[in-house]
Amino acid sequence: MKTTLLATAATLMATTAMADVNIGNPMAMTGPIPDLNAPIAAAVDLAAANVNAQGGMFADGETLNIIRADSACDPTAAVDAVTKLINVNSVSAIVGPVCSGATIAQAESVSIPAGVVTLSVSASSPAISTMEDGTDLVFRAAASDAYQGVALAELAMANGMDSIAVSYANDDYNAAIAEVFVQAYEAMGGTVTANEAHEPNKASYRSEVATIGAGSDNLALFSYYGSGGITLMRNALETAAFTNFIGADGMLSDELIEQLGADNLMTSTFTTSASDDSTPSFGAWKAIADEAGVPAADPFVANGYDATFMMALAIEHAGSGDRETIAESLRAIASAPGEVILPGEWEKAKAILASGGDINYEGAAGNQDFDENGDVAGNFSKSVIVDGAWAAELIQ
Amino acid sequence: MEAYLGYFLYLLSLLTVGGIYAIFALGLNVQWGFAGLFNAGIVGFAAVGAYAYALLTTAESPFHIGGFGLPLPIGMAVAMALSALIAGVIGLICIRLRSDYLAIATIGIGEIIKLILKNETDITNGPRGINKIPRAWEHFSEERFYSSAPMSWIATPEQWGAFFDSLPNWYWQPLFAGTILLTVYILYRMLERARLSPWGRMMTAIRENESAARAAGKDVTRRRIEAFVIGAAIMGLGGALFAQHLRLIEPTNTFDPSKVTFLVWVMLIAGGSGNNRGAILGGFLIWTIWSASELFISGGIALISSTFETLDPSILATRAGFLRMMLIGILMQVILQRYPGGILPEVRPASPKAVKTTAGPTGDDT
Amino acid sequence: MWDAFGFEFVNFYFIPGLVLGCIYALGAIGITLTFGILRFANFAHGEIMMSGAYLTWTVMAIAGAAGLTLHPLVAMVPAAALVIILFLGTDRFFYKPFRKADTIKVVMASFGMMLIIRSAVQAIWGPNQITFVPGIARPNATLQSITGDMGMMILMPNKHIWIFAGTLVLVVALGYLLGRTRIGKAMRAVSDSPDLAHVTGINVDMVIRATWIVGGICATAAGVFLVMDTQMLETTMGFRMLLPMFAAAILGGIGKPYGAVFGGLVIGLAEELSAYPWIGDAPLLSPGYKTGVAFAIMVIMLIVRPQGLFKGRSF
Repeated sequence: MKTTLLATAATLMATTAMADVNIGNPMAMTGPIPDLNAPIAAAVDLAAANVNAQGGMFADGETLNIIRADSACDPTAAVDAVTKLINVNSVSAIVGPVCSGATIAQAESVSIPAGVVTLSVSASSPAISTMEDGTDLVFRAAASDAYQGVALAELAMANGMDSIAVSYANDDYNAAIAEVFVQAYEAMGGTVTANEAHEPNKASYRSEVATIGAGSDNLALFSYYGSGGITLMRNALETAAFTNFIGADGMLSDELIEQLGADNLMTSTFTTSASDDSTPSFGAWKAIADEAGVPAADPFVANGYDATFMMALAIEHAGSGDRETIAESLRAIASAPGEVILPGEWEKAKAILASGGDINYEGAAGNQDFDENGDVAGNFSKSVIVDGAWAAELIQ
Repeated sequence: MEAYLGYFLYLLSLLTVGGIYAIFALGLNVQWGFAGLFNAGIVGFAAVGAYAYALLTTAESPFHIGGFGLPLPIGMAVAMALSALIAGVIGLICIRLRSDYLAIATIGIGEIIKLILKNETDITNGPRGINKIPRAWEHFSEERFYSSAPMSWIATPEQWGAFFDSLPNWYWQPLFAGTILLTVYILYRMLERARLSPWGRMMTAIRENESAARAAGKDVTRRRIEAFVIGAAIMGLGGALFAQHLRLIEPTNTFDPSKVTFLVWVMLIAGGSGNNRGAILGGFLIWTIWSASELFISGGIALISSTFETLDPSILATRAGFLRMMLIGILMQVILQRYPGGILPEVRPASPKAVKTTAGPTGDDT
Repeated sequence: MWDAFGFEFVNFYFIPGLVLGCIYALGAIGITLTFGILRFANFAHGEIMMSGAYLTWTVMAIAGAAGLTLHPLVAMVPAAALVIILFLGTDRFFYKPFRKADTIKVVMASFGMMLIIRSAVQAIWGPNQITFVPGIARPNATLQSITGDMGMMILMPNKHIWIFAGTLVLVVALGYLLGRTRIGKAMRAVSDSPDLAHVTGINVDMVIRATWIVGGICATAAGVFLVMDTQMLETTMGFRMLLPMFAAAILGGIGKPYGAVFGGLVIGLAEELSAYPWIGDAPLLSPGYKTGVAFAIMVIMLIVRPQGLFKGRSF
């Protein structure tokens, strides 16, 4: 039974996977955040489409295939999905899983033992920096919470909020960033009047909002917009418990404007990895994304594009899809020295690499220079409502 | 050659995870198949086992309590004991509830256990979970194990390091899978003995006709609690192995009731409740279908898009995950209706027919 | 910002608790009737609720495309009809074969239906959230000024008034059905004692159909009220409501629709009030444990008084 299954699966897969470059892309297609995941997946596909439209991989123009699997934001599913990608689909590298827990589990359980590079799209947990045990196989294109939490605390102080209430969704991403925020904010002399977890995906948060609302007019909200964030904000606005809102990129979405109305969001500021039109990288990315109908400034969408594009550059730089050399190449193409490559400039990068030159990818979501842990330092921008839409501005 | 190695390793991973689920299914079989206790809180016992193992065996960590760095077998033994202890307490209070009521109570208790693991951040690191959980066999190549006793008695850390570097990076995988298969086999032999013993026959009697068993002077409540505790201990062991396999556990998604409790129930019902071999078969079979269906569906979509050039498969591709869940649901309805007794129906130990014939595939004897 | 022991208690804890309670109550009616009459815990009930809400949204969207703005309560009517068909179809093909078999079989079948319905909804409507009604619901100004003059200002948006009114109408109608009509009396009889009911010549199949119809209407209403309150649709909302609804059904006593209504209100209030700063300034129970309140009530109830507050069936 099993052998038949495997043989059939192998035949099916063989139809797509011969002599091309394959990148495994486990994404949280099902599970708690499919809505957040969908535009990121679109950005990953867009990057691959750009690569293939501008000459493909290597001198003979091989196709870059994205082989997608469902990691469901769940360690079990992620481990299973990545096992299949590495062993059955024989992918060169992994770009993906969205959630921190799923990323750590698949890396520790499968991809590090197998020696395959993982470049995470959005895993932001500080634990990822220290998990590799002497290998250099896990990278991420999104900044650690350790950076964004601090940036947000600085923003709160700059906006004159000297006291604040904190409410965070009790999941791996939001709990982590809330903790960093509270530490940084208190170290800067701010007063946290309340700091409570809330269970994601409840139908009503009125009592939570009322309880923590007694001490301050300012709310730092850490939640995914899709799993309770909008509901909590709606309840806070309806009961007028809070007037000013700040939060991290999990909340930043056009969905918020659509559901709550731009008028109600005039006092809200959300940070995200740099998505400011003043940087040429983001400008280049926005042009590509707008043309393809991908929401350029939604959470981690730019990071998804960057990760895929960088992985393609690394494989091109390595000269083959062999797993061993990719980590080194990834470091080489992401940072100086070298000619600056902006999102979408595949043809140019390919020509430079073919002539033996160096390149330095400057991503849509930041400069994407990896430190020794494979982390990127984030530039962050703050988004506020201007003329009924989110407008981003770089935080200096 | 390399491709075949890949398939071999995937096969090993199917055996590993299938084996872990088979252990859960065996535990459930003691509770439901033997004693008729409708436990719908499997996820709670699995989580207790996994967290006990993880906290005891990981290296010291600033994120959660301890990281006591104890040897792996101790971690697994404590996982079983703790799970059994909690089951004992629950059993004392809830065991008189029947059928659906016990199911709903155990669902509630399982969720409360998960909420505690999630909210007591100082102990469990809350929703971010515990990582770097040591995995049997692979852990020998971690420095903290080979640089300390008893491994340091045999060779120096440098020699160990060189030795592990010389092995292929998947050396532990057959050993880990083998350990799990061996565990399944040992559990199977023990449970078969229990099933055929007077204890097992008494369980069947209690399940089938409680008042008759009570009238015959059997301590029904006590036997029920025994079955509940033994089943929970096995689930705790399964949880500990699950933690080893994943190497990171967190309360929300790892222990999602629809992926642990429900899947294990499907396995037991499909394999044949009351039959230990059925439980094992169900574990391996359903996991293989669950895991391999993703390859089939994505392969099928690729085939469709390469056959019909004009069709845009992206919509199908983004929704493939849901189609997979739907297929599992439909498969389960088919099994329920076509094989009401499971693929390997129960064979009564007491009935004289059991020795001569086995029941037909429809298994009307449940 | 405000005095925690003023009238805010009513506005921010009690009324939201009642709103949640109404939704739980309507869902629990269907569960308790199925449990009492068909004798199994229907795990697909939450998904039926969710699909009812999606169908309502679709009806509104179609009407909107034709230039017609429908109130959700109007669009609910055709949606409820579709949900009833869905319920009857499920029963015919997936539950009826197990009528004489072990309870576990039909419970597993309903668990399978839960997966099928949810993934079907996700595949058809997509996993993204859908906005039901955009914007913020401000408190009803008339109510606010009238009650404000009386010194106890009640802040209640229109959507909550609709939810209360809708629940009241449905519960009164249900009371009439069960108390005054032939079929309603038959339903109660089957719920109390199926064998006796069979002997007295009650058409059990008819009663089962009626159960699904009543359950379907209440489930659709519960789903629509839920999205009227949260103003958005997403596919896991049914499952999240399921366990509190079970808790409500058990609290009220299995097979007792009024018990389920009461149980729903108690569970809804308990969840919202658990975060109230009863002692000192901190919430009594960390909001992270909010979900656990319903489970804890349910487990304690099962242990202490499994027949429920209203002397329902205890198996």
